[in-house]
Amino acid sequence: MTDTLGSTGRDWRRIGLYVVLAALVVFYMMPLWTGLMTSIKANALSTAPFLPPAPNGFTAVHWTRAANALAGGLVNSLILAVPATILSALLGSMAAYGLTTLDWRYQVPILMLFIAGIFIPYQAVLIPVSKFWAVYLPLGEYGAAVGIPKWLGDLGGLIVTHVAYGIPICTLLFRTYYKDFNDEMIEAARIDGASVHGIYRRIILPLSVPMFAVTLIYQFTQIWNDLLFALVIVGPGQGAPVTVPLAQLGASLSEVGFGIRMAGAFVAALPTIIVYVLFGEQFAEGVST
Amino acid sequence: MARLELDSLTKHFDDDGDTIVAVDDASIDIEDGEFLVLVGPSGCGKSTTLRMIAGLETITQGELRIGGQRVNEAKPRDRDIAMVFQSYALYPHMTVRENMSFGLEESTDLSDSEISERVESATDTMGISSLLDRKPSELSGGQQQRVALGRAIVREPEVFLMDEPLSNLDAKLRAQMRTELQRLQEELDTTTVYVTHDQTEAMTMGDRIAILNDGELQQVATPLEAYHTPANEFVAGFIGEPSMNFFDVDLDGERVAGDGLDLPLSESVRGELTTDALVLGIRPEDVELKKTVEGDHDVSVTVDVVEPMGDENNVYLSLPDTPEGETFIANVDGRTRVEEGEDIAAHLPEDAMHFFDRQTGEALRNREFDPDEDEFSL
Repeated sequence: MTDTLGSTGRDWRRIGLYVVLAALVVFYMMPLWTGLMTSIKANALSTAPFLPPAPNGFTAVHWTRAANALAGGLVNSLILAVPATILSALLGSMAAYGLTTLDWRYQVPILMLFIAGIFIPYQAVLIPVSKFWAVYLPLGEYGAAVGIPKWLGDLGGLIVTHVAYGIPICTLLFRTYYKDFNDEMIEAARIDGASVHGIYRRIILPLSVPMFAVTLIYQFTQIWNDLLFALVIVGPGQGAPVTVPLAQLGASLSEVGFGIRMAGAFVAALPTIIVYVLFGEQFAEGVST
Repeated sequence: MARLELDSLTKHFDDDGDTIVAVDDASIDIEDGEFLVLVGPSGCGKSTTLRMIAGLETITQGELRIGGQRVNEAKPRDRDIAMVFQSYALYPHMTVRENMSFGLEESTDLSDSEISERVESATDTMGISSLLDRKPSELSGGQQQRVALGRAIVREPEVFLMDEPLSNLDAKLRAQMRTELQRLQEELDTTTVYVTHDQTEAMTMGDRIAILNDGELQQVATPLEAYHTPANEFVAGFIGEPSMNFFDVDLDGERVAGDGLDLPLSESVRGELTTDALVLGIRPEDVELKKTVEGDHDVSVTVDVVEPMGDENNVYLSLPDTPEGETFIANVDGRTRVEEGEDIAAHLPEDAMHFFDRQTGEALRNREFDPDEDEFSL
């Protein structure tokens, strides 16, 4: 008797759990779903935003137009995000190795500087940074002087900026990870004759793969999605990362292009989704350690 | 092969402005091919001493020489040593083969084929040839231990340093590895410094043992010398299981007396005692049990607890007029019949008595012991 009651109680609890989960799925998926539906409707206002288009109201024109308009930006964003992501993760890992596994004076104050770096808001450095790249180190103009397109040089400045901004958080993430490494393992490597550089390359780096997945996903998303630095340092034009043309997409005096904006948002977000899928497994492993 | 000399090694740690002396003026000469065990309670400085030899800690004062060469400033890689760690410290992402060849790749110019030859011969010695392509996570504790040892011997160093390498193994495996390690060390004839807190390991494995306490070297001696002629009360209490029995006694004329004891001493023993405030020590196996008090060195006792070990019994005895729970131990044949609560007598033979200065702990008189004496030959 008690048994039946108990199992009924569990059943109800389970039903409740699934209801809540389903509600959360709907809550999170609704914006995406609505966006997707809007992007394939010939007339965005023909049906309610979350309903699919009527059979004769379907169109792919927003997607093709958005893809065409953003193609250049996507390429620029890749040129920007791939090296910036890899560099910031790699440098962060090296800095963390130097600040955690090795032993020298003034480690703590330097670590404090790194951590303070995490909390500097973009807006606070916007003017100095833009002035720095425009006046003191105009990479675009230097490049143009030796035959490299100006926009590529400007992108270079943006890459360095993002790397600099990414190093503190990457360092902190790697440091937390390296602190759990067995000290005796590092000492064994020292006695085995490995140099500081050899220990990093042959011991630390191979063991960092899960944390690299975390930092790569995190940094790639950050850099890919950034509009502020992109707009200020590179600006609209040939070298603009995808977020810049995306912001301008579908803006006109006569109407608001909901369809093309939604399609554009999906096109621009696609690479980050691909990165999540590719590194998802290592990401989960890295987060759980 | 090399001789290892520790000349007044001292290590100070800085703890927020306070200086902590971890190792104080330790001098030991370790002969070529010798197996020296550094033993002491935790925090006594034995690991720090080993780490100074390895080059993992700087040396505050004193000199360290390997093969006559001063190596205080040399990096670990230049000291020609190999170390086995308590946690094994294997590289988790490498196979057994890679773990063992790592040191040769980093510190020698050997060709790949020479390296794999040496790795294979080392794995043969350790009996782990079948594990060459496994990762450490796929090995049992005992197998990891063998890989860690293999990683040390493959380097063919001048000196082996071992930091409690057996303490993570279960009791049976530990006893087995103990013998194996000894056999291995004899075969390779490499100078070895072995750190442990376990006096059984120290007694059974070492050619000589160095006993440390509070950063200070207490005695360096062969296991039997340390057992029979301890330099002080600490060594006497640390070496031996169960520990030596100690009684606070005072010398009064021709007798020593203290808590329930009143024993006459012969003139020759008295002559060695330079002070009156003494500690009398006697090993459990030297205490003999009798039915009744008969002679001068017999005392009446009550049996408190009997611990049968099979081959022998540990009998906990209490003297009359002493607080409850204050007992001393007699170690007697396992077939001896004694009952808890029984009133019997214990004989404390004079020639087995040790006397220590109660103030300094220094041994004033040890039992007679000559390892070369004919009495003990077969």
